[in-house]
Amino acid sequence: MLFFQQLRGELRKLFARPRTWMGYGAFIAMEAVILAVYKLERSQRYMKGMLERNGLEFGTYYSSLTITFTIMLLSMFLLGSIYFALVAGDIVAKENEDGNLRLVFARPISRLRLLLIKYTAVSLYTFSFVFFVGVSGYAMAVAAVGWEGGLFVMEPKMKVFAAYPEWWEGAGRLAMAAGGIGLSMITLSSIAFMFSCFKVKPAAATIITLTILFVDMILQGFPFFKPYESYFVTWRMSAWVFLLEQNISWPKIIESYAFLIGLNISLFTLGWLSFQTRDFKT
Amino acid sequence: MLSVNGLFKNFSGKPALTDVSFHVGRGEIYGLLGHNGAGKSTSLGIILGMVMPDRGDVTIDGISVLKDRSKALRKVGAIFEAPAFYEYLSGWDNLKILMSYSGGFDAESAAEVIDRVGLSKRVHSKVRTYSHGMRQRLALAQALLPEPEVLLLDEPTDGLDPEGIKWFRDFILNLRDERGMTVLFNSHLLAEVELMCDRVAILREGQRVFEGRVSGLQDDTPVFEVDLAPWDLACGLVKSAGGDILSTGKVSLPHTMDPATLVAALVRAGIRVRAFSPVRRSLEDLYMEILNGAPSPN
Repeated sequence: MLFFQQLRGELRKLFARPRTWMGYGAFIAMEAVILAVYKLERSQRYMKGMLERNGLEFGTYYSSLTITFTIMLLSMFLLGSIYFALVAGDIVAKENEDGNLRLVFARPISRLRLLLIKYTAVSLYTFSFVFFVGVSGYAMAVAAVGWEGGLFVMEPKMKVFAAYPEWWEGAGRLAMAAGGIGLSMITLSSIAFMFSCFKVKPAAATIITLTILFVDMILQGFPFFKPYESYFVTWRMSAWVFLLEQNISWPKIIESYAFLIGLNISLFTLGWLSFQTRDFKT
Repeated sequence: MLSVNGLFKNFSGKPALTDVSFHVGRGEIYGLLGHNGAGKSTSLGIILGMVMPDRGDVTIDGISVLKDRSKALRKVGAIFEAPAFYEYLSGWDNLKILMSYSGGFDAESAAEVIDRVGLSKRVHSKVRTYSHGMRQRLALAQALLPEPEVLLLDEPTDGLDPEGIKWFRDFILNLRDERGMTVLFNSHLLAEVELMCDRVAILREGQRVFEGRVSGLQDDTPVFEVDLAPWDLACGLVKSAGGDILSTGKVSLPHTMDPATLVAALVRAGIRVRAFSPVRRSLEDLYMEILNGAPSPN
């Protein structure tokens, strides 16, 4: 009960920051841009060609669900990584920098419990934010092209290609995928959270996290590393796309998420060890 | 109530505390003095479990802070110089969040404490709109809300105006008188420490170099400011009476000597006594003597 009271306080702090709301605004702006690109005649022509080459009907798959999938794929990759790293990188380091932790440390709360509260808050925030992007993206897409139509999925990197002509099936798969993205993005937040627990500036925690992810992504693209791609964090984080495969391969998905959960626990533990042994001078 | 036992702490090989010990009894106000970097804040950090000592321990009501920090700090409230609240939240929300770390928030008790510290009208405003004095009042409220038995004050009156300082002092003294609260007061404002504290310790370069009662500062050899003429003749008489000439116009007398007897003897010897008044030895004098190894100029 007390844990939830503390968690509520942590979420209250998170949502009281102007930066948090600026993030929502930034995502909506990005969704609008993607939607505008989709509406361009040239884009529609390109998509029509692609669908018809694969024997699919443009009228069925040029839909709000397909646009929502693209919005989630692109906005999470382009903006999500930066934004989650920024929020999670701030969660401990910023409070230390601002001196708020001094007042917290005058309270009878253990450092482990404090970090557990903060980590839970960041994870909840990350997970729910993905759904916000999905729902807001879908709402905008519905306003632009209507609610009907199926879902077309093409993700060349992970070799996923699928088409769901029925709306309910496509929507269900997309909701599942959103859950998967949420879990994947928690790993990104965990990396930033760990660095936030170290004796670094908040901006440094964010920059180091993004550097690690981008290096991971770049190295993964090298032919030399092809046989080892499953060891890369960003590859594992992309496992959510497998939820959109026509026939879901659960062992593949469970393996990836077990890898990510293990990684998240390790990152939290490292952050906690650093935080636990640090001196916080008054 | 609060025992600091043989603390040692090095930062990057540089000693910050060397064998610092002191004990603060229940209902006592204890002052911790020292120049910047003397180890006051490090001591406070160790008491609160923010800084890990290399050696030594701190117990609060018999509970070790190192072994069971959460239990030990249940009876502790702390105020820091320039307390950093969450600026984007109201004072009330800040209290709610901080109290959730102390076992839960009770709106009724909070309203009572807020009223007591005189912040009722502004408690729902954002902290970023608060003056320094209001922040200190909020700091006091957050420290008092868990109903502590020990209050740790780290430079709490720095930056306050004289009115604010007096209000703060009276408030703390009332708390001690009404609730028997134990207070550790860390400050640069020697006059404040003298007015508030029962005992003081002085730290120099991480070592405790003095501990004593504030009321006992006058117990040493009394010093008098005098205006006597002729001075040379008067000096002879003072010396023959067992006194000492400290400088022109300043003499010290042994404890056993009644100054009135000396004044009478001086008058009888035909010396004009224009002034003969005791010099009160302040905490500042003692502090300067200890830290500089010489008496402060008067």
